Amino acid sequence: MKPAATAGRSTERTAAAVFAAAAFAVFYLLPGALRLPVVFYDPLGRGFAIARALPSPWIRYYGDLLYATAAALFAFALGFRLTRNANLGTLTGAALSLVALDVLFYLSRLVASV
Amino acid sequence: MTAHALLAVHGVLGVVSVLAVTRDAIFAVLSASRGEVVTAQGAAIGASSALRRLGWLGPASVVAQFAVGLALYPAYRVRVRALDFDRNAPLYSQLFDFKEHLAALSLALVVALAIASRGADADRDARWPLAAVAASAALLIWTVAILGVCVTARHAV
Repeated sequence: MKPAATAGRSTERTAAAVFAAAAFAVFYLLPGALRLPVVFYDPLGRGFAIARALPSPWIRYYGDLLYATAAALFAFALGFRLTRNANLGTLTGAALSLVALDVLFYLSRLVASV
Repeated sequence: MTAHALLAVHGVLGVVSVLAVTRDAIFAVLSASRGEVVTAQGAAIGASSALRRLGWLGPASVVAQFAVGLALYPAYRVRVRALDFDRNAPLYSQLFDFKEHLAALSLALVVALAIASRGADADRDARWPLAAVAASAALLIWTVAILGVCVTARHAV
């Protein structure tokens, strides 16, 4: 493969990976913030349930991860097509801003609870 | 494997993750700013070539550490959070929640970096964006590690 073609393929892959990270950040935050139904795990009864909210010790972490991972995989597949002409610097800036937004959201919840 | 053994493995993998991801971030920034680094043997090589040497270690250790953390999580929720933190130290419950969210976000960045850094030599335009992702991942991993030590010091599983 020619160097220019290799670089182009590499840019597409990088853009798709960054796009997937952005999708992960968005869809990791949304189910919790919007109280969407997710998979919960009961560590005592060792069972699963789908609900908007359940009391402790039911665990919603796995459900949130499932949402975010599915969204990231879908975005990665879609990213090769959608990000073809995107500026990589802008795309990375947007993705890292979304990650920072998630961090600020969870930090605000931590500070509010103190 | 008992929860104590899993916690020990989780801790060891945490140290490896912090070192490997920090190394990746340093090489990514060097790759973007200078284009080459000098190895311990004195040879100058492309920094993104250096990034690829042992480049699997960062994502592998982070993914393994995350998987062990997921396996430990139910034990933490029952033995530590429900019996101690929620009653006696709610701040530690919140700190742990914050840590788990940062861990998930750092995992996404590390995996994205691992996929994106393949072929980074060929694409000079991608170097600074990759350096930014690597530095952000390293910052998150360090924060996760420090919070993990704080929470475990208060009450291990």
